[in-house]
Amino acid sequence: MSDTETDLRKWRLPRGRHGLPRELVTRSQRERLLASVVRVTAAKGYEATTVADILEEAGVGRESFYELFEDKRDCMLAAHRILIEDLEARVRDAYAEPGEWPGRLEAAMDATLGWFAADPTTSRFTLVELGAVDTVFRSRVRSIFESFVEIVDGGLADGGPKPELHGATRLAVAAIMTTVYEQVVLGRAAELPTLRGDLSFELLVPYIGEEAATERRRRLAG
Amino acid sequence: MQKQSSSEKGFSGALALSVPTDVGEASQRQRIIDAMIASCAEKSYRGTTITDIVGRARISRTTFYKRFEDKRACFDAAVTYCIELMEETARNAHSPGDPPAEAVRKATVAILESMAKRPAVAQLLCADATAVDPQVVERYRSAVLPALARLWKAAGEPRRSQLDPRLAFSRAQLLILNQVVADESDRLPELLPEIAYLAVAPFAGHAAALEQAHLAGGGVPG
Repeated sequence: MSDTETDLRKWRLPRGRHGLPRELVTRSQRERLLASVVRVTAAKGYEATTVADILEEAGVGRESFYELFEDKRDCMLAAHRILIEDLEARVRDAYAEPGEWPGRLEAAMDATLGWFAADPTTSRFTLVELGAVDTVFRSRVRSIFESFVEIVDGGLADGGPKPELHGATRLAVAAIMTTVYEQVVLGRAAELPTLRGDLSFELLVPYIGEEAATERRRRLAG
Repeated sequence: MQKQSSSEKGFSGALALSVPTDVGEASQRQRIIDAMIASCAEKSYRGTTITDIVGRARISRTTFYKRFEDKRACFDAAVTYCIELMEETARNAHSPGDPPAEAVRKATVAILESMAKRPAVAQLLCADATAVDPQVVERYRSAVLPALARLWKAAGEPRRSQLDPRLAFSRAQLLILNQVVADESDRLPELLPEIAYLAVAPFAGHAAALEQAHLAGGGVPG
């Protein structure tokens, strides 16, 4: 594991009561449960995972679970929301670094590829197991998509080129999301960063055309 | 569930004489497929049960299992049906003399318009097929892309792009899915410039794709 560990991955707190204020114990119980649902679901699959599995992995009692979450689905969606917020924050930070715009777009892309490559368990949970949670999969995918489009378009207005294709950003975000999804499904998340050269080319062409994107790829490789 | 082999006609063989069997069977099979498509749109594949399908198709479970081995076999048949529907739509959309880029643009327009009228088909192809088994998508993608490449080859035009057709295909799927999920399938034609660009760019290059995107967008009011 690398320094791109998310908070969720660090949520392995000492088990049992430790004389902490009740509010803090509840908070840590919640965090333990969220970390647990990620690990268990990624390993067993969403459908096969039971609340008992989540409790055992977390070392938390059933009663506490139901004080915090309605059910397995609720717990899973809460963990998912936190992971996506973490990913979005990292992408925003990378994209906000100073420099010329294509480099910033590539930094945002690298942050995404790195996040999914860092930990196969979390990636599997975030993308694959979400598909098992009824139609919420579709609306989550859409809202993640829209928020990334908003991030990229925001930075584009700030020193980026005028895109040659009007929907260039939507194509760019779609390229990253589908590439990440396919590699994670195939169990090849760790290889994501090796795709950065080709993917950067794919992202840039609709904005600046094939010649300029090829030139940039040549410069990056050289 | 026992499946009846075709040699075990027994007394029902006599009954079959009075019914136009193949017509009846074909329409029954189609009813089951339509029920699968509708149920997936509403509850996703994973949320769909055999009970949902037989309820919608107004048939018995026994009849279902006579036509399909299981839920997955029925789903695969539904995907095949949707692909054939889109192929037919694409074929009818252009004339034999059209230059490849124009033919592809016209096919794109026709497919999006047809999906706008029947969003459940779009959901099945773009959401469920991906979530159920990436192999399903791979199967139809590996049929569609060579067909597109042949259009340019037949016209004697060399490939003018380093963009990846497979990635373009996945991007288009995601864009369509997002529009359908937002319950905005009637606005699918708004994606025309982007989808036309994706369909043309990997073969004829950025400049030709921009031109087709512009032409495709011309048909959208506002």
